[in-house]
Amino acid sequence: MAFPHRPDAPELPDFSMLKRLARDQLIYLLEQLPGKKDLFIEADLMSPLDRIANVSILKQHEVDKLYKVENKPALSSNEQLCFLVRPRIKNMRYIASLVNADKLAGRTRKYKVIFSPQKFYACEMVLEEEGIYGDVSCDEWAFSLLPLDVDLLSMELPEFFRDYFLEGDQRWINTVAQALHLLSTLYGPFPNCYGIGRCAKMAYELWRNLEEEEDGETKGRRPEIGHIFLLDRGISVSDVDFVTALCSQVVYEGLVDDTFRIKCGSVDFGPEVTSSDKSLKVLLNAEDKVFNEIRNEHFSNVFGFLSQKARNLQAQYDRRRGMDIKQMKNFVSQELKGLKQEHRLLSLHIGACESIMKKKTKQDFQELIKTEHALLEGFNIRESTSYIEEHIDRQVSPIESLRLMCLLSITENGLIPKDYRSLKTQYLQSYGPEHLLTFSNLRRAGLLTEQAPGDTLTAVESKVSKLVTDKAAGKITDAFSSLAKRSNFRAISKKLNLIPRVDGEYDLKVPRDMAYVFGGAYVPLSCRIIEQVLERRSWQGLDEVVRLLNCSDFAFTDMTKEDKASSESLRLILVVFLGGCTFSEISALRFLGREKGYRFIFLTTAVTNSARLMEAMSEVKA
Amino acid sequence: MDCYTANWNPLGDSAFYRKYELYSMDWDLKEELRDCLVAAAPYGGPIALLRNPWRKEKAASVRPVLDIYSASGMPLASLLEVLQNRVLDARIFHTEFGSGVAILTGAHRFTLSANVGDLKLRRMPEVPGLQSAPSCWTVLCQDRVAHILLAVGPDLYLLDHAACSAVTPPGLAPGVSSFLQMAVSFTYRHLALFTDTGYIWMGTASLKEKLCEFNCNIRAPPKQMVWCSRPRSKERAVVVAWERRLMVVGDAPESIQFVLDEDSYLVPELDGVRIFSRSTHEFLHEVPAASEEIFKIASMAPGALLLEAQKEYEKESQKADEYLREIQELGQLTQAVQQCIEAAGHEHQPDMQKSLLRAASFGKCFLDRFPPDSFVHMCQDLRVLNAVRDYHIGIPLTYSQYKQLTIQVLLDRLVLRRLYPLAIQICEYLRLPEVQGVSRILAHWACYKVQQKDVSDEDVARAINQKLGDTPGVSYSDIAARAYGCGRTELAIKLLEYEPRSGEQVPLLLKMKRSKLALSKAIESGDTDLVFTVLLHLKNELNRGDFFMTLRNQPMALSLYRQFCKHQELETLKDLYNQDDNHQELGSFHIRASYAAEERIEGRVAALQTAADAFYKAKNEFAAKATEDQMRLLRLQRRLEDELGGQFLDLSLHDTVTTLILGGHNKRAEQLARDFRIPDKRLWWLKLTALADLEDWEELEKFSKSKKSPIGYLPFVEICMKQHNKYEAKKYASRVGPEQKVKALLLVGDVAQAADVAIEHRNEAELSLVLSHCTGATDGATADKIQRARAQAQKK
Repeated sequence: MAFPHRPDAPELPDFSMLKRLARDQLIYLLEQLPGKKDLFIEADLMSPLDRIANVSILKQHEVDKLYKVENKPALSSNEQLCFLVRPRIKNMRYIASLVNADKLAGRTRKYKVIFSPQKFYACEMVLEEEGIYGDVSCDEWAFSLLPLDVDLLSMELPEFFRDYFLEGDQRWINTVAQALHLLSTLYGPFPNCYGIGRCAKMAYELWRNLEEEEDGETKGRRPEIGHIFLLDRGISVSDVDFVTALCSQVVYEGLVDDTFRIKCGSVDFGPEVTSSDKSLKVLLNAEDKVFNEIRNEHFSNVFGFLSQKARNLQAQYDRRRGMDIKQMKNFVSQELKGLKQEHRLLSLHIGACESIMKKKTKQDFQELIKTEHALLEGFNIRESTSYIEEHIDRQVSPIESLRLMCLLSITENGLIPKDYRSLKTQYLQSYGPEHLLTFSNLRRAGLLTEQAPGDTLTAVESKVSKLVTDKAAGKITDAFSSLAKRSNFRAISKKLNLIPRVDGEYDLKVPRDMAYVFGGAYVPLSCRIIEQVLERRSWQGLDEVVRLLNCSDFAFTDMTKEDKASSESLRLILVVFLGGCTFSEISALRFLGREKGYRFIFLTTAVTNSARLMEAMSEVKA
Repeated sequence: MDCYTANWNPLGDSAFYRKYELYSMDWDLKEELRDCLVAAAPYGGPIALLRNPWRKEKAASVRPVLDIYSASGMPLASLLEVLQNRVLDARIFHTEFGSGVAILTGAHRFTLSANVGDLKLRRMPEVPGLQSAPSCWTVLCQDRVAHILLAVGPDLYLLDHAACSAVTPPGLAPGVSSFLQMAVSFTYRHLALFTDTGYIWMGTASLKEKLCEFNCNIRAPPKQMVWCSRPRSKERAVVVAWERRLMVVGDAPESIQFVLDEDSYLVPELDGVRIFSRSTHEFLHEVPAASEEIFKIASMAPGALLLEAQKEYEKESQKADEYLREIQELGQLTQAVQQCIEAAGHEHQPDMQKSLLRAASFGKCFLDRFPPDSFVHMCQDLRVLNAVRDYHIGIPLTYSQYKQLTIQVLLDRLVLRRLYPLAIQICEYLRLPEVQGVSRILAHWACYKVQQKDVSDEDVARAINQKLGDTPGVSYSDIAARAYGCGRTELAIKLLEYEPRSGEQVPLLLKMKRSKLALSKAIESGDTDLVFTVLLHLKNELNRGDFFMTLRNQPMALSLYRQFCKHQELETLKDLYNQDDNHQELGSFHIRASYAAEERIEGRVAALQTAADAFYKAKNEFAAKATEDQMRLLRLQRRLEDELGGQFLDLSLHDTVTTLILGGHNKRAEQLARDFRIPDKRLWWLKLTALADLEDWEELEKFSKSKKSPIGYLPFVEICMKQHNKYEAKKYASRVGPEQKVKALLLVGDVAQAADVAIEHRNEAELSLVLSHCTGATDGATADKIQRARAQAQKK
């Protein structure tokens, strides 16, 4: 059922070194403030910190109490306070309020701010403006790469997406360049580099500068990883690749993420999954043998697999019956523990599946998927639009409604003015007027736009649609869109064959291509591009695609001589997603790797999904 | 060979001292040395002369000139001296912290500075009863602290930062009524005292131990007295100079005497004494052990034999073999080679160096595994030394001094003397890493080059770039900083263009007030912190309007600044949008304010009004209308709260209507729906859900019959089932249109009837849908029925 790797698949480098490095550095920083101290941790850093150093390690280095950085006065009575924060202005103000309150009370303590992964000048300036720059000492914890799994490194910077793709703020790009530099000192050099996207190119150039400044270190080393591929979440101005991130995920790991939210490689399974009265935090990675076999499977296969597994397990338990004492002793001492562990995991995942099924059938998941597929293929636009409208009218979920609207907009290269207006009106009525700002954000990011009014076809079409009934208007719209071929997404998906033509049923049990991660309906654009470029070892022959993506200036390759790279390393590929990647993309590339004998390693600014994407764009009332 | 030791003078039984000429002086002095104030720097350093400082008759307007010469007498520089009347005497001393200076002022007070680099003067405590200048004094350095030792009459005083104490050297001969001279050794370990009885005491500088004493019976005060010893040697000797007499005394009953033909000046060195006069410059030192072994008359040391063997070999004499055998039989060949190499280092004449090295090389041939490093390094070092000892350079370093000084310091000295080509040749010859070697020197050269005012900016920049190219380790920004320091801003900007790291260009550009250029360079560097630094500079430097205009042309900087303002300076953000006539963002800004900043309802409505106006200006009618609707809704919600109680503010329109229905205010709900033109479909969904939530089935049924449902009746079935009311659900199932009939029937659980309808429709999709709902035994019959229908359909 789960496809094994080809026997010649290369070994993955050991990334646990990154954890050790981060831990040692943190300990060093904590020791810089000798004696007992209280540690204030920013909420976003708690889970990553937990993966690096647990509470007992912190206690060993004289951390007394732990507090969350939040907008509340601190109750700490310790003489030394240490803050572990992201470089954000609001954190600086929090620290300033604390220090200034102490000053007013005539109290002097020692304060230390540790910025992770780096400090920004703006933060120091705020500290100065608040008059406490001289009272605190600042340090950097250059912890930017967290190995979430054997093949997945995350920078845990979800704000990268909004900061860069919405606000145009480039400050994190340097952080990415530094992380790449670290990787290349530890595992590099990388003989082949490819990339596409404005941000990818910037990060690449900054990285190169860093390497040049410090050259000599990696020279003469044998490369461990043969290729590195950098790409933006929103590759181009029209950002068609948001499609991949906007679709509902149907591969098990993605579905778990969509349903329960995987946070920093672990998930909180609630009572409905654990079938007990308490929640359970479960690490999801290759160490979980059950999970490892189903994570990349289409959801429809998972149940069958799990029940098969359960039967096998039962059979193994049953073997006890015919055993004599000695065999039984052996069984208990050697196998039972493993079986019990497997049993526990199995029941957890079965619980998770049931819970997913319950949630999905309630909202008529099939209907939703059908609509998504129709949008991808560009059929029945009118029907899909009505579906979305109903979705909004029924207040199913603000995030889901928004997601569908964006999917419609991108696949159709913008909404026709009438729909653009009415859907937005409906949305505001359902979910609140503050979303006017959300729409402004989405338009800026190119996720939800209006078709250019100059488009004569649209003008004709809207006139025609006024004259005829709703249903007929839909058909006319469909006819017009196929006639105009105005959608960029359509052109690219045709060019790259993103929507496979299937005769009959797509066999999800034995997938033929990467489209299986979306039930056979769509090959993720990012993954297809990677496949094509790797096949050609360059962008040659992809000019038309690059042009359609508006990336003529931002597609690059950089190859050095390969004589030093072993054939094994040449089948290891590091893919860097700037702005986040989804579990569906990861599954698709893992599939591609198995087919071609590659192994992919993923580096992402954060693992994302449609909900996170939409939340990043939403304005919520404070 | 015999003539070679002619200039060796024995002192006692174990040591020889020799004096040889370094240079004949080139300086063509008109004055006698005695008419000049003389000083010389150690390690073969230059000589400074101040002419006629004592001559009072000269007009006060003529300021004396200080001339600096190389050790070979080549003039290096002249500077005007600034007269310091109050200083009577001064001593320079060297510690690990640098060179210090001690001054005796006119008021007979001592002042000390540990480092001339940063002149922090420290006044020493007063010496009690000191009315006139001490007869002699010196600086002692012990444990990193400088003390002053001074002699007043028969007494010696030690002065430190805290106090002044009298000291007595152990074993001092009686009858001393005054000390005429004192000398500290180069390493500050030893001290020598010369008394008015012509007696010399030599001991440790700590004054705890006497080493030896000597009575020279000359009562005239000596001009100079300095130590002459070499590192790691047991011999201690001092050189005492009078007008025409030079005497080397040590732990021996006899002394070595030289006659001086001219006024001479002694310069103590690490391993000897330099003696220069108007015409010559000589070096006096103890003959090193290796040289002594080899050259001593009738020496049978292995080195001596090897040198002999090599000479015979060159003469093609068989004696070579005899000598060699002799060494080998004693197993001393390795030692012989080492001796020759070492002795070569101590020779001043290249000829002698060569013959010693040749001997070493010859001996090496007969050794299996002699590590070549010492030989190679000695050859290299000697080559460097011979080059700097050259007459034109005039740095007479000995091998020991050179090793102590290090090549880096020697290169610095060459660079300071602008001997760039020689310095580069040395770097290349020694294959020093570029960053420490050639690049550094080129950078120094470039820094000197930018000071050449007579050359145009273009030429200088081009010349520098041509020579430096992309040499690693050269910082163009440092050179540019130097150019700016010389007031050549344009040249600095040109040089910065060659700087490959744009980040490095920024600080200097800011300093030169080229902030806009700095901004684009910072943006190029991709370092947002750098951009931010420049922005803050610009903000303070320009007026607000110009600052905003600058930002406008730099989108990257603009977004960065906006992000900052969003969190820290909201008003500035508004101004930014105003400046750009960005009405869309202004509108958004005010909308945000209506939620975040304003609390009173009037304030919120006012903010929304401003937003709506901005949206109109931005030609975004949709947003403007939506905002106006929101204003209406807010006012209405306020009224509802006043009249009905409960929570209405900030609910969405949909939720407001739902809340009204749930509260039983159907009339008001209808009114609101009409006022805000809620579409029928939404209204039906809304009412349906709300009534089902209330479980007001009667009202729901009435509502369903009020007119034909715009959303069909399937939703009614669904919602009723959600409330687990199968009875009500069934009522509506019958009203569901044919297209959705099957779904409705399945929802209420009527599988059998659903099957009938599906069969009637002959719809394959519907059939399989029903089939998937057939569970186990109960629906067995239905499932069979469907299968039969399917089979039939296929037959047809």
